[in-house]
Amino acid sequence: MTTDEATKSEGDAQTAALVEQGEDITPNQDRGVLKIVKRKGNEDASPMIGDKVYVHYKGKLANGKKFDSSRDRNEPFIFSLGKGQVIKAWDIGVATMKKGEICHLLCKPEYAYGSAGSTPKIPSNATLFFEIELLDFKGEDLFEDGGIIRRIKKKGEGYSNPNEGATVEIHLEGFYGDRKFDSRDVKFVVGEGEDHDIPIGIDKALEKMQRGEHCILYLGPRYGFGEAGKPKFGIEANAELAYEVTLKRFEKAKESWEMDTKEKLEQAAIVKEKGTVYFKEGKYMQAVIQYGKIVSWLEMEYGLSERESKASESFLLAAFLNLAMCYLKLREYTKAVECCDKALGLDQDNEKGLYRRGEARLLMNEFELAKCDFQRVLEVNPQNKAAKSQITVCQKKTKEHNERDRRIYANMFKKFAERDAKEEASRNPGEKDVEKATSEKRLKTPMSEGKEPEEHV
Amino acid sequence: MSEEQSKGIMAIDELQAIVQRCQILEEKHFRAEDFNLFQVAGQKCLEEGYAAQLLEVIQNEKNKVIVKNMGWNLVCPLVRCILSYQQEDDKRERCLKILDQLVQLSNPKELLLGLLEQIEQTSGEQTSETIMLLLQPLQTVILKLHGKKSYSVGLSLSTILNQLSLLPVPYTKDQIQEDKLHLCQCCNAVVDFTKPFVDEVVKNMKTSESGEKELKEELLKFCLKSLKYPLLTAQLDQLEDIEEHPLRHFAGEIIGILLDIGEFIPAVFSHGSHNQNWDNSEFLDIDRNDSVDSLACLSYLVFVQYIGIDCFPMIFSPSYLLQCNMLHVEVLLKRTEESILAKGLDLFENCLLRLDNNSLLHQYLEFRNFITASQDLVKVMTLCPIEDLRKKSLNVLQLYIDKFDTEGKYTLFRCLLKTSNHAGVEGYVVQNIKNQIDLSLKRGQDNQWFTGHRLISLLDEVFCLPEGAETDLLQSSDRIMAALNLLRYLVIKDNEHDNQTGVWTILTKVTQNFLKPLHTGLNMSKAHYEAEIKNKKENRQESHTSNTVCSVTVSGEKMPNMSAEMQLQVLHSALFTFDLIESVLARVEELIEVKIKAVTDENIGVK
Repeated sequence: MTTDEATKSEGDAQTAALVEQGEDITPNQDRGVLKIVKRKGNEDASPMIGDKVYVHYKGKLANGKKFDSSRDRNEPFIFSLGKGQVIKAWDIGVATMKKGEICHLLCKPEYAYGSAGSTPKIPSNATLFFEIELLDFKGEDLFEDGGIIRRIKKKGEGYSNPNEGATVEIHLEGFYGDRKFDSRDVKFVVGEGEDHDIPIGIDKALEKMQRGEHCILYLGPRYGFGEAGKPKFGIEANAELAYEVTLKRFEKAKESWEMDTKEKLEQAAIVKEKGTVYFKEGKYMQAVIQYGKIVSWLEMEYGLSERESKASESFLLAAFLNLAMCYLKLREYTKAVECCDKALGLDQDNEKGLYRRGEARLLMNEFELAKCDFQRVLEVNPQNKAAKSQITVCQKKTKEHNERDRRIYANMFKKFAERDAKEEASRNPGEKDVEKATSEKRLKTPMSEGKEPEEHV
Repeated sequence: MSEEQSKGIMAIDELQAIVQRCQILEEKHFRAEDFNLFQVAGQKCLEEGYAAQLLEVIQNEKNKVIVKNMGWNLVCPLVRCILSYQQEDDKRERCLKILDQLVQLSNPKELLLGLLEQIEQTSGEQTSETIMLLLQPLQTVILKLHGKKSYSVGLSLSTILNQLSLLPVPYTKDQIQEDKLHLCQCCNAVVDFTKPFVDEVVKNMKTSESGEKELKEELLKFCLKSLKYPLLTAQLDQLEDIEEHPLRHFAGEIIGILLDIGEFIPAVFSHGSHNQNWDNSEFLDIDRNDSVDSLACLSYLVFVQYIGIDCFPMIFSPSYLLQCNMLHVEVLLKRTEESILAKGLDLFENCLLRLDNNSLLHQYLEFRNFITASQDLVKVMTLCPIEDLRKKSLNVLQLYIDKFDTEGKYTLFRCLLKTSNHAGVEGYVVQNIKNQIDLSLKRGQDNQWFTGHRLISLLDEVFCLPEGAETDLLQSSDRIMAALNLLRYLVIKDNEHDNQTGVWTILTKVTQNFLKPLHTGLNMSKAHYEAEIKNKKENRQESHTSNTVCSVTVSGEKMPNMSAEMQLQVLHSALFTFDLIESVLARVEELIEVKIKAVTDENIGVK
């Protein structure tokens, strides 16, 4: 028997087994996808819609010819489950698998590449055989920072999402540990959930949901109620939360390009006010959203009349200054500096802009640059006492910094000298050699040793 | 002794003199003028044809230090000489030997810069030749460098590609075969140049050393740049009688490099949010805007030309592939160059052919670029000067329509009617609407979009004259004829009893807003053109020195004036069009009348 025949007969046997014993896993029960589990999974959990799944697989045509294998590429295949990224048979089949499971699937063309086939490998109306191993899966990390993990229970319709400012109607249930602390239907504007005691993570996640979607969201503290917690719900500081959310319906807010200048300016006044309210309450992330709208509407707006462009500039300046302040509070100093730069681009002598940039730079340990900013503040307004005292702080910090360096080095020299002296003493002590060794060590050892000696002081 | 000879000997003497003086010096004591003297003397030797003697000096063990420090100065005159000699000239051979010695003996850092300088200075017909001459030395020199290799590789590759990109890409079969400027040959030589560096990256990936990330990035940049030039503008279809299409070969090599360095799949899927699937790769620190063209070209190579498709997962759904490629299609169709537009159309077509008819969900139209794609197609089919592309674009549009589900088709028609601003396209869409209604009536199922109230609202867009009776009927004739045909079809197929399509519901409105103003418009236009013809004829009799009413300018050049005869012809053909419209209009009105009469008769009978 040739190898071709061998693979063919093996393929035939596998196909026959699937046809005889395979479980029909299609929702319509039309035997379009048949499945046999070849190796049971080691955990009971199955992936959910939207999960990022990692698989190894091998695909064969009815004649036994292999058309694709992830093992040949030496890397697992990764995709988002249930989103139509892969052929239908896979979205259905992989969803039934457990972690670690290996299964065989037999897929009718209607669940694979249909009558069109997929040139050049899959002919028209081909029934496909797959062996799939589910290696791993994890919830979708919405912002790639681990802060919001989504797992979809029921997929929504279509592809459009609510945007910032959209009006949404949702049902939500909030969990803190095992305790359900919230359960209600609520209608609100995306970005303003805080007004309804809804944490910012829900606002952010909604922008990635579709109508009718039902999902679980795991929120890190930053996207939950943060340091302040939520006494009303009995939630402590820095709590991790879980929410089950159903997006019932939504109406999109107008996109920037759908608004004319007049409307943008009117709206700018409103959102500026909203932002300020949030800011005063210490809801900085929410405030950022409001001020951010002004920037997105007006930063690239051209062809304004003189009066309009004046109004627009003053909104933008205020927005950048306030954003800078928010980012300072959120400890995102680089962003704060960026906003100040933009504000100063509009008004190069802006006192607040200069001051806030100075603050941000001070907090980033860029003392010299910070000092320059505060000095500029004084040039603009010699009466600014705060700036004066900040300059003193800068100087003090610079000095402290230098001193610490000096101490570190001093200690280092001393310590090395001692150590080397000891080592040399144990051998053949010679004063000259000790000195040389010390200086060499000093050159080679950077800051890493620095922390240790500090404790002696 | 001739003057020539004595000059040559002088050059050698000068060289000997400077060499002897420096032999006894330590290298740190070399002075700037020594470098100068060495270069001048060496150059003279070369120019006078004393390469053999120069070679001797360089090979002399005693001069090792001198050559190491000063050798790179000779690269410029050497290259010039080599390029000036014929292929089989002994002198050329000797010069090549000198170059080889320099590569072995000189300080690699300085030599590298010397070589790159030569590449940078070359131009025109010498570009490819110079590059091919220097690739091997360049590679050897870089391999001798310790550390910082990635920077040198990157610098070399970008210098080379920048020079090459000034050359025209051969397009026709003859041009490709001739490869007059050796571009194809040179591109493939550059691939050989990269081989050891690719191997190094591959080796490091196996031992999972992350140190050479930079080298990998440089190679990735090179691949993306090559995709943009020359591949994006090249003609890459298989050619008859050419065993191996050199640029196809080059494309294969580039994809090979991407595969080797593990960036192939990430690159194909690097757009937008899709790359989050491949987070295990650190793809694209480079500017994404800069590489959209390259990535579009890559997609074209994979899906249309099947280069590298064997290494591509065959598990994605066709609609997802379309969705991913739509971004590339958009980039390509926005261009105006024939070769790039053709690639965009091919890629679009290819993705559509993977789908079964009626299988594309209407929800995809929620992606902005699914709508703009149709508009881009319209742009090509109405504005592109190349007929083949116009035709192809129309075919792709039909294919696109065919793939959508009924609701998708409906939405697309509505959008095209609103945005195309071209009577021909609108007529074509109306024709399509008619076909869909026909299918709906025949199937008797799944007809909620092309029957009843939804159809009515679509028909509102069809049966209208945007400017009433004043509409330019000649300009819109395609659309008007298609609309009348559709109306005739509806009135015949759908009787007032069933009124499945709803046409009888809107008939009064259609008569009021479409048929009546059309009548008025036709009468006005006909009268106008007839008067014009009469005028022309009288004028012709009066004076043969016709003073032209208007002149036509096409791209800055004035077109020859139309003769009175031609003008008359145009006017007559316009009249003919009006007659045609009128006859169909009359037929439609007649049909309506008969049907209505039949119904009223029936009603009377019932009573």
